[in-house]
Amino acid sequence: MWWRSASFILDRQQEQNTNFPPNPESLLLSSPPPSMADSLQNPKPDISAYYQTRAAHHAVVTSDWLAQAQAAVSLQTNDDVSSGSDGRVATTGGGTGGDNKTFSVIDEFNSWRKQPDLAEAVAAIRALAAVIRASQATTMMELEIELKKASDSLKKPNSAAFCSTYSEFVLEFPVDIAWDATSISLTAGCDLFMRYVTRTSALEYEDFNSARYRLIERAEKFGEISYKARRIIAMLSQDFIFDGCTILVHGFSRVVLEVLKTAAQNKKHFRVFCTEGRPDRTGLRLSNELAKLDVPVKLLIDSAVAYTMDEVDMVLVGADGVVESGGIINMMGTYQIALVSHSMNKPVYVAAESYKFARLYPLDQKDMGPALRTIDFGVPIPSKVEVEKSARDYTPPQYLTLLFTDLGVLTPSVVSDELIQLYL
Amino acid sequence: MPDTQALVNDFLNKLKKRKIEGSQATAKQTAELLRSVISQTRMPYTNQAAALIHSVKAVGERLIAANPVELAVGNVVRRVLHIIREEDLSLTTAAMAGLNLSAESDDEDDTDRDNHPALSAAAIAAASRSTLRPPSLQTLLEDLPDSAAVPHTSSSGGDSEGKSKSADKSSRSRKLKHDVIEAVNELIQDISTCHELIAEQAVEHIHQNEVILTLGSSRTVLEFLCAAKEKKRSFRVFVAEGAPRYQGHLLAKELVTRGLQTTLITDSAVFAMISRVNMVIVGAHVVMANGGVIAPVGLNMVALAAQKHAVPFVVLAGSHKLCPLYPHHPEVLLNELRSPSELLDFGEFSDCLDFGSGIGAPLLHVVNPTFDYVPPKLVSLFITDTGGHNPSYMYRLIADYYSADDLVLERRTTSGN
Repeated sequence: MWWRSASFILDRQQEQNTNFPPNPESLLLSSPPPSMADSLQNPKPDISAYYQTRAAHHAVVTSDWLAQAQAAVSLQTNDDVSSGSDGRVATTGGGTGGDNKTFSVIDEFNSWRKQPDLAEAVAAIRALAAVIRASQATTMMELEIELKKASDSLKKPNSAAFCSTYSEFVLEFPVDIAWDATSISLTAGCDLFMRYVTRTSALEYEDFNSARYRLIERAEKFGEISYKARRIIAMLSQDFIFDGCTILVHGFSRVVLEVLKTAAQNKKHFRVFCTEGRPDRTGLRLSNELAKLDVPVKLLIDSAVAYTMDEVDMVLVGADGVVESGGIINMMGTYQIALVSHSMNKPVYVAAESYKFARLYPLDQKDMGPALRTIDFGVPIPSKVEVEKSARDYTPPQYLTLLFTDLGVLTPSVVSDELIQLYL
Repeated sequence: MPDTQALVNDFLNKLKKRKIEGSQATAKQTAELLRSVISQTRMPYTNQAAALIHSVKAVGERLIAANPVELAVGNVVRRVLHIIREEDLSLTTAAMAGLNLSAESDDEDDTDRDNHPALSAAAIAAASRSTLRPPSLQTLLEDLPDSAAVPHTSSSGGDSEGKSKSADKSSRSRKLKHDVIEAVNELIQDISTCHELIAEQAVEHIHQNEVILTLGSSRTVLEFLCAAKEKKRSFRVFVAEGAPRYQGHLLAKELVTRGLQTTLITDSAVFAMISRVNMVIVGAHVVMANGGVIAPVGLNMVALAAQKHAVPFVVLAGSHKLCPLYPHHPEVLLNELRSPSELLDFGEFSDCLDFGSGIGAPLLHVVNPTFDYVPPKLVSLFITDTGGHNPSYMYRLIADYYSADDLVLERRTTSGN
């Protein structure tokens, strides 16, 4: 890969750059505890590494330009910091002025997220509902602007607010609960709700208050919708789990657990292979849950997938997000499992609720903003050694057999159709 | 009533004894039977659509159980159910529109109209519309969860209909039945003309001096090839004989009488000949929702050979062959084992098939499956009466023809069988 070598040089350059001037951004990034030393990996998280390398390759861009761009970005972060210095970016009265109480959508989101059985998208939509409730807007337009701001602050990957809350969370919770602001389902959930807001206001409700009330009601029902979606998926997938089959599962997914739980309740005889799911051990968590249900489980280390594949009848994974091509973004390792099962002619099924459909079209693995996480190797790693910290990968649609969603059992090509229908 | 009962039983018997050959004949007869069932159904004053759906479903379930392998029966039953829902909806929305208009113009005579404000009427219409549409991202937030939880959402439309004016009720009831029967007639017409519609597209696909391979015999394929011939295309056809029933022989004979240059080959010669072939054109038994095909035995082998040599594999299928189900173990569950007498002569092999020898069971077993499953990735193109489609596009056609409610209900009953 020609551009990857360029990227390597570029990263070095930037590393040196960031070491020189102590601009506010580098200060911000170095403030979190050394356990998440992400700042070394991608010093400019606002620009995707892909575009940085692109720029370098086309030789349009010199290091001067990069320095300028960097300065511009750090200016922007400065603005953010000044507007929401205490980590409360979205104060609801921002548009209207004359507000006396402060309200933070992020705090709201965090409080919802502490509930264990709540999906991220649901928490986001509940938080947006709280925004509507706290809002003093008097027209639909104002409300929309406020919601837009709030959802942007939820989605924004590296805002100042995020940095502070993130470091706080790393201290408080184990890593896998920490809020990952690049989460696809979070973005998709916000987008879906925003879409609903614009649709409703355009349609039948002239009265602002009734429209507002209706929006809040719908948002609060969304948790129920999400739960119902999981039930529908579990019911639809029962036909695919036959007696005596062996299912390989990767990562922890509430939907997958629900599917397997329902199958166990329907007295199906099957066994499950769980991958370990390094580094956050999601597989261990799933195997614990399955053991409680008396389903025979076998734990594999992540590298044993190809070794065991000939015993496996189907691969079942969840998804962080389903993208427009019909491919999925899921926990690191899904792609290689899909490749192995494709080469051995085993079906790969994906269980995902339809609110995870996202308007993204990644062309390769590096095309999305990386979701970084810490990895504990047990032994100290020399500082010169780079560590791949990305938490997710992209599995292209040709390696997926079917998607189980609450819209029905779909082939990957249906996803773009559904998205086009919604957003056209 | 009694005469439809007799008709149904007669048809059930025929299905059970496998006396009806070919999915087109089966589909047509099923549709005709359901038409007479509908015309004999007594219409209650309220909830007429539900009554029709109930009676069609009752008959349909028995028909499907009689021959679960002939999926065309289930397809037609679902199509008819979808037709009833659609006609009911169009009548309801028409009535609603009339209601709104009259409510705007004058409110002199009605007392019962007043408790139906325009908004609720629109909401009901929207709700019943959403039951016909397959579930989508749009309806995810709009749709009320409790209404979606109730399986018979159509009844909500029916209830409102019952509460509305009684004067036009009788005319409406006759209208619903009439419309449904009209639409079923159209369906029957579609089924019987699907060959011509498919054959019309032949010239777009078959070019001068090409070599076409087919296996066994299919009326759709025959018409397709002859249509190209009539348009003055000259091409050659290789016909694989299609053991053990050797229907390829009949096809070859028929093609020759129509003046086509034909070559007959054995099934086992397919791989040897495929490198000279420009296109494989075959018929199908059923097309499944994922784009997989249930086809006469031997076709999977042909499809693999075609893939190996990058020859396009084209499947012709009328729209009554589109099945909204996904195949689970199609090789076993959607297959039928025919008599061993097609393979061998009992006179010669009676010794080997003797139950008295050895361990109490005959040493020679004969397996004679009827169908093959061709996975979607081996199919290049489907040609249906609405045009050519990619395998991954099949779900869209299915969403047009069937309503999601029937799909789930039927599936539960068929999986029970």
